[in-house]
Amino acid sequence: MVFSSLPFLYYFLPAALILYFAVPGFLKNGALLLISLAFYGWGEPKYVLLMVFTILSGYFFGLIIEKYRGRQASRLFLLFSVIVHAGILLYFKYADFFIENFNAVTGLSMPLLRLSLPVGISFYTFQVLSYTIDVYRGDTCAQKNPVALAAYVSMFPQLIAGPIVRYSTIAEQLKSRRHTLEKLASGIRRFVLGLGKKILLANTLGELCSLFRESGDSSVLFVWIYAVSFTLQIYFDFSGYSDMAIGLGRIFGFEFPENFNYPYLSASISEFWRRWHISLGTWFRDYIYIPLGGNRVSFAKWLRNLLVVWFLTGFWHGASWNFIVWGLYFAALLMIEKLWNTHRYPKFPKAVCHILVLFFVMIGFVIFDAASLPEAFRLIGAMFGSGSLPIWSAEALYYMKSYLFLFLIAAIGATPLPARLAAKLRSTKRGQWSFPFLEPLFLGILLLVMTGYLVDGSFNPFLYFRF
Amino acid sequence: MNKKAQNLLMVIPMAILLFGLSALCLLKKETAYSEDERRVLASRPELTADSLLSGSFMTQFEDYAGDQFPFRDSFRSAKAFSALHLFHQKDNNGYYAKHGYASRLEYPVNTKMLDHAAERFQYLYNTYLEDKDVKLYFSIVPDKNCFLAGTNGYLSMDYSALVSYMQEKTSYMEYVDLFPLLSLENYYRTDTHWRQETLIPAADRLAEAMGTTLSHDYETVTVEEPFYGVYCGQSALPLKPDTLRFLTNDLLNNSIVTDWDTGSPKNSFMYDPKAALGRDPYELFLSGSSALLTIENPSGPVDRELIVFRDSFGSSLVPLLVSGYSKITLVDIRYIRSDLLDQFLSFDNQDILFLYSTLLLNNSLALK
Repeated sequence: MVFSSLPFLYYFLPAALILYFAVPGFLKNGALLLISLAFYGWGEPKYVLLMVFTILSGYFFGLIIEKYRGRQASRLFLLFSVIVHAGILLYFKYADFFIENFNAVTGLSMPLLRLSLPVGISFYTFQVLSYTIDVYRGDTCAQKNPVALAAYVSMFPQLIAGPIVRYSTIAEQLKSRRHTLEKLASGIRRFVLGLGKKILLANTLGELCSLFRESGDSSVLFVWIYAVSFTLQIYFDFSGYSDMAIGLGRIFGFEFPENFNYPYLSASISEFWRRWHISLGTWFRDYIYIPLGGNRVSFAKWLRNLLVVWFLTGFWHGASWNFIVWGLYFAALLMIEKLWNTHRYPKFPKAVCHILVLFFVMIGFVIFDAASLPEAFRLIGAMFGSGSLPIWSAEALYYMKSYLFLFLIAAIGATPLPARLAAKLRSTKRGQWSFPFLEPLFLGILLLVMTGYLVDGSFNPFLYFRF
Repeated sequence: MNKKAQNLLMVIPMAILLFGLSALCLLKKETAYSEDERRVLASRPELTADSLLSGSFMTQFEDYAGDQFPFRDSFRSAKAFSALHLFHQKDNNGYYAKHGYASRLEYPVNTKMLDHAAERFQYLYNTYLEDKDVKLYFSIVPDKNCFLAGTNGYLSMDYSALVSYMQEKTSYMEYVDLFPLLSLENYYRTDTHWRQETLIPAADRLAEAMGTTLSHDYETVTVEEPFYGVYCGQSALPLKPDTLRFLTNDLLNNSIVTDWDTGSPKNSFMYDPKAALGRDPYELFLSGSSALLTIENPSGPVDRELIVFRDSFGSSLVPLLVSGYSKITLVDIRYIRSDLLDQFLSFDNQDILFLYSTLLLNNSLALK
């Protein structure tokens, strides 16, 4: 089930809220667990057992690692934990990728497993991994209450598309959290705005991307329109989902970490990755990059660390070569950026830096979205006129005109301008008394319009749904 | 205003909206059929262990939640309004309206589909017509986009390329060009089809090509009920209804219309007034879709027979050709397999007209 669906909004969510707020405080984690398992089971009934296994193994590994903390056995159990949980991820997400490539290299024809990917497996596996690692390091205590740990791992707001919430971040909140009117209001606001990003912007931009993919009338202009559109779509899709997750978290009394911070404002690639999918970036930094030595090592080792982290970041996104190339592409960009800065080569004006970052990020997302590597190279080539494509076509011009206003809204929406404008309006004398009325009115109308979009169409896939 | 009051102002209305719509979803009586979209709506799926474990319950429930949502049509209209006026998109799901005329984008020319249509026509020619004493004619009916899309900045397929392509593929037939005789006014504003009361020049052009003459002493009858064409529901745009009119006279009233859809003859109507009040009022003409239909005109020229391979555009045009023939047979190979035709028809000493719209030719997979 996805948040931007009628069954979630008008069946699941009201029922979940009634159940959660009806039970007394000591049962709230149990209620949340029940709600989360129902949410997960809705989409993947057969994989509920896999999730239960992951939770239970995480629970027992946590206890045993803590018991032997400081001793060799603790390290051994951590290793087991990593093997078990990473093994589950490798088996369900990557088995066919390895078999395909093994077959390609050896010429054998080992049959593919053709397993369907359990929804959210990349997210909840990383959460359990971080939990056991944190317990091993002594950064957090093992959770003695299996219901509380299960509520954390399966927590539906961030279960299928993040942000990756570390156990240590919400350990205290699992024990006791406050449900306030302020949190509720703020959660509703964040959820509805996130839903708006997803339904009104990401889905509509996604329709344009689909039109491009289905079009037999390609042109250089249309490929650029697609590239810009997908770059905006993936931002609003993913950040919209994170907003919804954070909003729902607040409604249920939690504070999740921010996952996006206007990444398209970045003036460097390293800044972009500090602003984009922050929870994933920090996870790899804290659990892979820094343990490998980070950047306080020799140049060769730093290079190795960079390549390992970005290979894994790419591979985490999907079992396909284009994701790996996408990750390594950013490794290369970060390397060039670092060397450029180290050697004190002349700096570009800031505006040029912004444009360059947007350009390289967009190229990256073309690789990310392509069905295969050759397709990615074909599209990138087409952006620069290869393949004898015409510069424009009637279709490209039509869709450019048709989606121009949406592009403008999306471009402005990807900056802090709307939030700043709202804050400024709110701070005026007139705003102070009108905002409390106008804001819920605006959000209510927004919810109704979005309901219209959901009623109207079934085009609603979350891009990050399968990661 | 204090913070608590501000938060209450946010939480209470939003909760009322969420729980109110949720309650309406649960309480709303199921609607079986959508008149606007002309389709059966999903009903609440049965909850069983099997359907739950296989996930089919969830999939069906998602369809059900969308189809049975309260005030569904109003929500769809709100979406259309938002797409066209808030985001200034030129079309909504491919539907657009200009100068009061609604249509759906048809773009680009799909040569695979044209090839399929041409291959089906070639099959008919090779199987039944090649060595027979018949005269073959082919005419293409432009869809409304031909006169509405390009001139108003919407995507418009290359109609002359489509016609040339089909002419090249059907060189064994004489092509009759109707394009110069038609304009936007020949079409309903809210429907795909053309208006019969404006088609006399087109009928004359076909008759002239086929060497027959038509009489046109018609009386125009107006259906009182407003005609909400197919685009009213599909586009969810606010459209004023059309007026449905048909041309009739004694000759048409005295003609015998027989429907052979089930294999045995059944009396049918040139104009079916009940159909005009039904789900698709355009079915007024020859009672809508039918695999095989004959029109016998007792006062028509002896031995002049016409067989029309056609789509729904033929339903409103063919009555205007009746005065030129003693018998007209209408065949719709979307509903009957081409290899079965010799069980019902013999081809000898007839005019054969292939009359197809650009919409069907460009989406011809249904041709059997």
